[in-house]
Amino acid sequence: MYQHIKDILHVDLTKQTWWREPVRKEELLHYLGGRGISARILWNHVRPGVDPLGPENLLIFAAGLLSGTAAPSSGRTTVTCLSPATGLYMKTNAGGYWGGELKYAGYGHLVVHGRSEKPVFLWIDDDRVEFRDATALWGLDVRAADGAIKHQLEDQDIQICAIGQAGENLVNFAAVMFSVYNAAGRCGAGAVMGSKNLKAVAVRGSGAIVPAKPDRFHQLVLESREKLLAESGIEGMYLYGTAGSLNWVNEMGVFAAYNFQRSRLDDVYSLTGQCLAEEGFLKRRVACFSCIIGCHRYATVEQGEYAGTYSGGPELETMGAFGTGCGILKTEAVMKANELCNIYGLDTISTGAVIQWAMECAEKGALGPEDLDGEPLQWGDAAAVNKMIKKIALREGFGAVLADGVKKAAQHVGADSWKWAVEAKGLEQSRVDTRSAKSYALAFAVNPRGADHLHTETFAEFGLSPESRDLIKQITGDEKYASPYLTEKRAEIVRWHEDCYAATDCLGFCAFSSTALYGITPQAMAALFSAFTGFDLTEAELMEAGKRVVTLERCFNVRLGATRKEDLLPWRLMNEETPDRPGEKAINTMEELDGMLDRYYELHGWNVESARPTRESLARLGMNDVADELADAGCLGD
Amino acid sequence: MDAKAVVAVPDRCSGCKQCELICSFVYEKGYSPRLSRIKVVHFEDRGLSVPVTCAYCDRPVCEEVCPVGAMTHNPDTGAALVKEELCLGCKECVNACPLGAVEMHPGKRVALRCDLCGGDPACVRHCSYKALKFEPSHLGVKSKRRARVEAWNLE
Repeated sequence: MYQHIKDILHVDLTKQTWWREPVRKEELLHYLGGRGISARILWNHVRPGVDPLGPENLLIFAAGLLSGTAAPSSGRTTVTCLSPATGLYMKTNAGGYWGGELKYAGYGHLVVHGRSEKPVFLWIDDDRVEFRDATALWGLDVRAADGAIKHQLEDQDIQICAIGQAGENLVNFAAVMFSVYNAAGRCGAGAVMGSKNLKAVAVRGSGAIVPAKPDRFHQLVLESREKLLAESGIEGMYLYGTAGSLNWVNEMGVFAAYNFQRSRLDDVYSLTGQCLAEEGFLKRRVACFSCIIGCHRYATVEQGEYAGTYSGGPELETMGAFGTGCGILKTEAVMKANELCNIYGLDTISTGAVIQWAMECAEKGALGPEDLDGEPLQWGDAAAVNKMIKKIALREGFGAVLADGVKKAAQHVGADSWKWAVEAKGLEQSRVDTRSAKSYALAFAVNPRGADHLHTETFAEFGLSPESRDLIKQITGDEKYASPYLTEKRAEIVRWHEDCYAATDCLGFCAFSSTALYGITPQAMAALFSAFTGFDLTEAELMEAGKRVVTLERCFNVRLGATRKEDLLPWRLMNEETPDRPGEKAINTMEELDGMLDRYYELHGWNVESARPTRESLARLGMNDVADELADAGCLGD
Repeated sequence: MDAKAVVAVPDRCSGCKQCELICSFVYEKGYSPRLSRIKVVHFEDRGLSVPVTCAYCDRPVCEEVCPVGAMTHNPDTGAALVKEELCLGCKECVNACPLGAVEMHPGKRVALRCDLCGGDPACVRHCSYKALKFEPSHLGVKSKRRARVEAWNLE
């Protein structure tokens, strides 16, 4: 319909058929593109009763609306489905180059239906869509599969997303890996891909993306580049990557260690981006498609017992998951764990989380050597960790228990082990210790996919940069709220960030460009959207569309029965103090959380008791059809 | 004195492909790596990226093999020129270029080759990683020599 707005490509693996669906203008204005339109597709097709690992679940890949253009840092891809880890809505997002390529092939979304009888991979070559036999690829790791497909298709420049053995074996936290090392990691999208017998999706596109108003759009691109390049934090992100801030978050006492028993360690230099660079592990600084920040890394180990290790990363979360989390303060050992997760196709956050939980179980006697296949699993034992990663991916021995995720593993192990399972809604929590970061606490609690930072990154509350302090002032009226221990105004901070984050995902921008660095503002996004589509959208309308996406994601879970009692934090973070906030102990109390939740639901206009949207709140967003359906299902918040 | 050319600094290239996007927009009013006159070569599993474009050879074989004189250059600036109205689309130049810097325009079916934007290449101007330089090749050689000697760390 429009040359710049690419079609939705539907593929049915059961019937081996495919078809195109144009994006309607109203949908675009309502849900912006990318993640938003995926949420709408999931809402329409995946209804209560669907098995996350059954053929009725959809696996939706979405390039951002602006992916493939020169809009800076706009090349990200979102994967959306019903999560096997939580049984709820999930979206997970990755960098790399795949999304742009999908756009050049002529599609903005790829919706995978059904289940193939035998292993297949998809080959999308502009207008041609082929179902290729992947029997010979089944069992290969991500790097090997990527190489084999490029060899078979005789083109080293095609773009591939693939699962490794973890996805094939339906590991609860298997990742979909893009461009080899970029993970759509959280919530088990890789297992959904594996359940469909889909090993990979290879894409080649030769088309162009022409904005509705090309010159205006390009002008805005150049302006937003300048603004992003002028951000005070951008150089640090480039030089040291995400792990460049590790020492700082550790000093603040917000970086989890030893399965959240601690949140600060004495010396974490070996896990920092500075160490990677200064000790010679960092070989190259790498950017995702169209990104001018360039925070990704490529690092190798050349000497010692880990010689031969090479991979993208490791990122901050991975350094935490295996480093502080498992008590391994050796750079090379964490780099090895990172490489193994990347090639088996495992989420590093959850993999590290289940292993450190098992370490605590072993320490406290809930797991004996006989449970652990006769192999000790002690804090700091890097060899045991790397062995366990393989066992998880291949579902061997005790690895098969951990492969179901920490919530189910705790049910299996019993005793008090559930208290040490740091999860919410079934998702292992990422590394920020919410006991000393209250916006994060609220954002994690209301996150539809479980406790983590990648639905609503509220980095600004730390007040680390002048830009973040300005933003907090803009949201709350006073810079003094840029203070992570306060509970006041946290709901306001989360509300702004979740709308902005949603718009960011819909357009394909990286969260680092808009909610960690702040160069890509909602105003810039609205202007870019307008020039790109030719449909005028104000900043307020863009943020409202973000809110609509967040609301629809909530409604998806509400239709599945979710209520306020699911909006919780992991038990440990509500019931055990951390000794590591500088100068005092820290905890999250129910009273504190309830206060923030009340205010958050109020700001949304949702029912405060049930945490469910009301008809009025939905009508205000033009979502009457959603309200009707919730009413029919008896779960409207009125 | 050598003519100025677009010179890649491989150590600094992040692989973001902004150069391709900017180039295709400047020439084609659309964003498409396929329409770019500069191409980033990726080795994803090794995190390695290097941009490749026309090297402005002293003996341009692409021009020598062109049967109709469509491949030519401006003798003053050295900038390459494709006389699109003459180009047959025979691809002799594509096959002859040992660097892989000449390609066919997928829509127009004529040769696609960098013309240095008339002396101020947009890719160089917009490379935020400073992985592209526009300079006479002898300058690049000088700095390469210096960097190598510096790496010896002599007191």
